[in-house]
Parts: sequence; C-alpha cells; structure tokens
Amino acid sequence: MRRLLLLWTVWFTTNLLAVDATLKIEKDVEQRARIALVDGSAEHHEKFFDILLSDLKISGHFLADGNVYKGSFSDGFIDPKLKSRDYLLKYNLQLGSGTTLYIRLLRGADGTELFKKSYSIPDTAKMPFVAHKAISDINAYLKYPDISWLNRYVVFTRYAGKQTSEIVLADYTFTYQKPIIRGGLNVFPKWADGNQRTLYYTSYKGVLPTLYKIDIYTGNKSKIISSEGMLVCSDVSKDYSKLLLTMAPHGHADIYELDLSTGSKKRVTDFHGIDVNGKYVDNEKSIVFISNRLGYANVFRKAIDAPAVSPVVYHGRNNNACDTHDNKVVYSSRESSSSFGSNTFNLYLTSSRGGDTRPLTTTGSNQFPRFSQDGSVVLYIKQSSRGSAIGYINLASSQSLLFPVSINKIQSIDW
Amino acid sequence: MMKKIYVSTIALLMLSGCAQNTPDASGNVSDANRIGSDTISIDESNMMEDGSGINYNSSSDGFVSVYFDFDGYTIASSMENRVRHNATKLQSVGSRQVKLEGNCDEFGTDEYNYALGLKRAKAVKDALADQGVNTSNVVMVSFGESSPVCSDPTDECYAQNRRVDLRLVR
Repeated sequence: MRRLLLLWTVWFTTNLLAVDATLKIEKDVEQRARIALVDGSAEHHEKFFDILLSDLKISGHFLADGNVYKGSFSDGFIDPKLKSRDYLLKYNLQLGSGTTLYIRLLRGADGTELFKKSYSIPDTAKMPFVAHKAISDINAYLKYPDISWLNRYVVFTRYAGKQTSEIVLADYTFTYQKPIIRGGLNVFPKWADGNQRTLYYTSYKGVLPTLYKIDIYTGNKSKIISSEGMLVCSDVSKDYSKLLLTMAPHGHADIYELDLSTGSKKRVTDFHGIDVNGKYVDNEKSIVFISNRLGYANVFRKAIDAPAVSPVVYHGRNNNACDTHDNKVVYSSRESSSSFGSNTFNLYLTSSRGGDTRPLTTTGSNQFPRFSQDGSVVLYIKQSSRGSAIGYINLASSQSLLFPVSINKIQSIDW
Repeated sequence: MMKKIYVSTIALLMLSGCAQNTPDASGNVSDANRIGSDTISIDESNMMEDGSGINYNSSSDGFVSVYFDFDGYTIASSMENRVRHNATKLQSVGSRQVKLEGNCDEFGTDEYNYALGLKRAKAVKDALADQGVNTSNVVMVSFGESSPVCSDPTDECYAQNRRVDLRLVR
C-alpha cells in the first residue's frame, strides 16, 4: 500500500506538477539518507562540525541532523532518539601540532559499524580538507554518486590595491585561505592539470600581459605566451593539451586556441568588438563565448573550424559571463538597468544547443558562475545587502549553500 | 567705473545681510552653516582645463587622460581636444614607446571588463592615427577595473575610472 502511495505521488508530481520545484525537493528529501553526527572529541569544535554538516548537505545524498550530539567515540551505543536515523557518523577530532581525525560510520538501527578510517595531517590550517575527505569517503563507501569535488582547491584572485592583487587558494567553504602569489597584478588563475598541481595565470609585470604556468608546490614557472592588450586563459581541454585564450594581437579581444604540444595557435573568432570567455562544448569541437556583436553582451556558440556564430541565449540585455560542462551552460544575466550601484544579476542554466533554460538564483547579485569538475554543482559569488558570500547549487538535488566571506573584490575564480 | 560702483553696492548689501555672523557677547560665531559645511580641498598639480568640463587627469609625462561613457568605447566630441593634445605630445617624444592603458569602473565583471578597457585603448590609438600621428611606437594594455583612481561611490568618481591613461614606457 505504501509503495502504491509512493508511486502515485511520484506520478502526480512528475506529470501534473512537474514545474513545481518545491514538490520536487520534497520528493528528493525522501530519497536522502538520514544521518546524525556524534562528536566523541575531548572538546567540541563548532567550525569543524559546521563543515561536516555543510559537506553532508551540499552532497545532495544526506539529510543531515543539525543538532550536536556528544557521545563516546569507541563504543556502539546508540542514543534511542537517534535509532530512527539511517546512519550515525561518530568522530573524534584532535587538534594540536597537526590535525587528526577518527571516524566511524554506524547503522542507526542497530549500531553496526559499517566503515572506519583515520586521517592525520601535519598542520591545523588545512583542517577543513580533513572534514571534506571524510565525508567524501563515507559517500563513496555508500556507493553514492561521486562528490570528490569537495576535496578540490578553489583558486581565486582578489584585488589588494591599485594594480595589485593576490592569487589565493581556498577550500570550497573558504574557511581555509592561503595567498600563493602576491606582488603586482596577477589575474585570471586557471587550473592547468587534473591534480591541481599547476595553474595558469596572467602577469602584468612586464610591458605586455604574459601567461605563465606555475607549479604551486615548487614555484617552478614557465612562460606560455604574451599578447598586447589583454590575455586570459579561459578554458583548458580535458586532456590539458589545448587552451582557449582571449588575446588581442590586433587590438580587439578575440578567442584563440593554443596547441601546447606544437605551439600553434588558431584564431577561433574574428570580430571588431568584444569576444571573450571562450569555453569548450560538444567534445571540444565548438565553443560557447561572450560577445557584444549584437550591441550588448550575450552568450554565443561557434564551431571551432566553421565561421557561423549563433546565439545561445534569447533573453536579457547583459549576459556577460558563462561557464560550461559538456553541453551544459551556466551564465549570469543582469536584470536591472541601474548604470551604477547595486544591480541584480541572476544565474541561469541552459544547453549549448538551446532548449530549456532554468533559473538558478532569484535575488541579489550572482556572478562568476563555475561548474564543479563533474558538472554537478555550480559555484558563484553572491553580493547582497547582507554582504558577500560564496554560493553552491547542487543541480541534481536543488540543494544550495551560502558561506559568508569578507574579502576584497574578487577578480576571477576557478575550481 | 559704473561697473565698480555696482559691484561695491552688491557687496555692501551682501555684507549687511550677514549680520548674524558677528560674534556674540562671548565671542562665538553663531552662523552654524559656515562652521558645519566642509570646505573644498583641491590638488591642482595634475589638472587641465580643456573645455570638456573635466578637470582631472591621471596620465603622466605631459599626456592627458581620455574619458568614456558607461559601458562605452566611443570617443565623445568633448574629448577631441584631449586627443589633439596627446597627438601633439606623441609627435614630440620621438621613437620612445608610449603605453595606452585602458581602464573601467567597477561595474563590469571578469574578462568582459578587461576587453572593454582594451576597446577604449584601441579607440584612442585609432583617434591618434586619425590625427596623422605615427602610432607604431604605441602599445596598448587593459587593466580592466584593477586600477581605479577614485573609490568614492559617486557618479563623478566612477567617471574618473572609465578612462585611457597615456604614459611613456620605462
């Protein structure tokens, strides 16, 4: 009977109320695993608890209990009021000269130990990454879709003064932050390999903007290319052998594809206006980019080896930034006309081949959209009357999280 | 002579209307407006008057900055005197390299703002060429919104940031 009721509910929501996002979320809630955190540490660390909770929420796979429960780490005792949870995560955090974490995943109903692991790193600053790794390991043990994007560095540039900036590494919550390149104007950082060991960035140290590749562990740096006017590494091919660059050797910002193995570069767009922000789509046979060729900033699509250009977005008068993953496109659209002061920018999700467009945000100024490596989550920067925050939207579960940040103006960001 | 008498009369009338500014018995000035309102503070070391109504400048080496409308990269007619001034100056520097720095206000984002700064630099370079000046020694760089000269939340301040600066390469 219960199954029949569930089937009817799913049919009803899918066929009659498919556009109602709220009901969709309610359905997803029923499918997520109920989990509670039990802190067995000598001292409760609130920030660490909050990070664990955020990781569980944004995964889209867990319905996390936000209450703090203290209890023995090592025994199998389950508080009767927690027996209705599918899982309990017991943990013991030890902070001293380094960070050590022990975790045990128990079945809520009977206290059976399903998984246990320990983590130890030599410093405390990177404590958030220990939390992220523990949650992604539990997620993997339970065979849920991969959430290893939790463990990745976010790299961003923040302005530090006139023609001065810092390139900073952060965890996805921005709890951990470490400036890695200071002095002068260094902008547009972009990861150069899958392991996040190297990154590209544009330096303004010389007369012309110059693209460098740097190893963030050794500091070894190599010059890639220079260009008059401006130079940005906008995208990197999946095998890291080709770059989409915005360059201006002819005085106009156009998009070029640089083959790193041969050094040859191909001009992909040729327009006497503004063409920027090239992103690969269609197995890297085409690009999506931002252009003002219709008199205002909008999202366009073009095959790399063919001249035709077509718009991707048919609404808004200022769609000035985008990101892609496979054929998914996320873009920011200015939805107020104030020349100065605060404007409303909202994020939309669409396809490079057209089709449905889905709003992702509804209030404030939402910019710098970036897909996670697997395309399941969108990162963005939100400015509102309450301040700045870094936001995440899980596209599958519609879960969203905001982490308040108090940093100077962000110039660019990559994940 | 008549004009002098007229000005003197007006001045006397104005002074007679300022009786409330005289100190009271304890020596205090009672005109709160004069005390409360702040006075101006001007740095004239890098200003120019060229008929454009703009009297600020952030270029160096004798060049003057060219300013742009919001989100625009077309040179306004009010900027033509500045372009002519820069063309003359460019001819006088011989073979020395000159840098055109395109800048934007803070209201753009990411790559688009840097491209907008570049379009402004290109517009100035083309305008200099139209003046018959050899621009082969001119190099363009866009700084996007990274190089503001003013950070007050006012229209005039934002306008000072939408500019192209010119200076010699050192």
